[in-house]
Amino acid sequence: MAEKAILYDATRCTACRGCQAACKQWNENDEFIPTVENGVQSVNRGSYENPPDLSPTTWLKMEFREVTPDGKVRWLFNRRSCMHCTDAGCVKVCPSGALYHHELGFVAYDKDICTGCGYCEDACPFDVPRYERNFVSGIAKMDKCTFCTTPGLDRIAGGWEPACVKTCPPDALQYGDRDQLVAEGKKRVEALIAKGWTNANLYGEKELGGLHVMYVLDDHPAVYGLPVDPQISAATIAWQDVIQPIGWVVGGLTILGLGFNYLVARANINREKEKKDAARS
Amino acid sequence: MQQEVEKYSKPTRILHWVHLVSFCILFLTGLVLFVPGLGVIAQDSWTRVIHRVAAVIFILAPIIYVPMNWKATLKGVKEAFSWSAVDIGWLKAAPRYYFLGDETGMPPQGSMNTGQRLWWLIVLVSGVIFTITGLVMWFAKTTAPAAVLQWMVFFHDVAFIVAGTMLLLHIYLGLLHPLMTEAWKAIYKGTVSVEYAKKHHAKWYEEVTRGKEVKS
Repeated sequence: MAEKAILYDATRCTACRGCQAACKQWNENDEFIPTVENGVQSVNRGSYENPPDLSPTTWLKMEFREVTPDGKVRWLFNRRSCMHCTDAGCVKVCPSGALYHHELGFVAYDKDICTGCGYCEDACPFDVPRYERNFVSGIAKMDKCTFCTTPGLDRIAGGWEPACVKTCPPDALQYGDRDQLVAEGKKRVEALIAKGWTNANLYGEKELGGLHVMYVLDDHPAVYGLPVDPQISAATIAWQDVIQPIGWVVGGLTILGLGFNYLVARANINREKEKKDAARS
Repeated sequence: MQQEVEKYSKPTRILHWVHLVSFCILFLTGLVLFVPGLGVIAQDSWTRVIHRVAAVIFILAPIIYVPMNWKATLKGVKEAFSWSAVDIGWLKAAPRYYFLGDETGMPPQGSMNTGQRLWWLIVLVSGVIFTITGLVMWFAKTTAPAAVLQWMVFFHDVAFIVAGTMLLLHIYLGLLHPLMTEAWKAIYKGTVSVEYAKKHHAKWYEEVTRGKEVKS
């Protein structure tokens, strides 16, 4: 089946945060209200951004950024959520298969079998997975954007677009076949360049084997706070691709070796005994 | 009746069993994250709760033992780090012994033979690695940088592979190998027969007879 994706056009976004609200509403995530009662001192962070960060109940959040190239203030908006990588660090390290690639390409999540290990939290190049974690016992569950495929709330299986896309008033979010969206994104980038936005680019086309959330940007990704050339960490590779396979080989050979030793040793010792017995009689 | 000689004191035997049981629990509750097919067992974090309870026992047991048994501890640590050419000789002769039962090439050993000391060294080193990396993962999960936590998991995993496979070997030699007749008694009752001591731990038996032995 053709891979699906979301195209986010930062140049069309008005930062109404309708996607943020629709995400919470559809996925039945309570609004996080940063108050003292909720353990957050209400502070002016000098931004319209709210809530302060992604959380187990905030899977999508709009970021506001003020930059001043050439002394002129630009107010930039960025959609922060799971990027649904093809080479996904989280899927690589997930020990239970709770995180997996949906047949349509993006990273789906089966919360029931999450062990709460927290490996995905540290392996994600975009710092997306969030945990509810008990400090002492370690009882934990991860949450992140599921591309609206949470069982029982599966919009994709129902033939609908994700909630964030559905609600977006300026059509800054689009859902469709990834190939088509790549073509559409490139077209828009070309148009931007033609208008004089020489740094315009399509983020996510090639990053990490291709993201399933792609960004039309009118400036360098770093200006939007996106990691330039994100990579799966060296620790993830050393651990998953080197140490784990070695562990399997070492463990397997040890068990085989011990079984072999048992058979040989027992046979030899029995033979010695028989010899002795024969000599005695 | 055969004459017996004490090999391991009661506190040492208790430490051994407490540590072994807690390590086996840690091993199994860790294994569920190592084997993809078993990952489902670990859902809802309950194996982590058991892992942490066992970890507390695993860390506290030696902390309680050491100040109460200074001499045995010092002797043990010293033995773990003293290696010589005799050990090479033992390793060369070992396959013939463990496969064919041929003891002729085995050099005389102290209270622990080369193989036992190798395992003991792994227990010490991996124990320290497990403890440090585990405590960081437990108490700095929300504060340490992601890269630090990832490398902690990495070294926890390396220690798991080394100590885990050697644990299999240890249990096999202690319980199943056809020649290991008295090892079990040494760590269960604390004694071995004089005949066994002479044959397998000649150097140590000599110390015992001269009254120079430091109890372990």
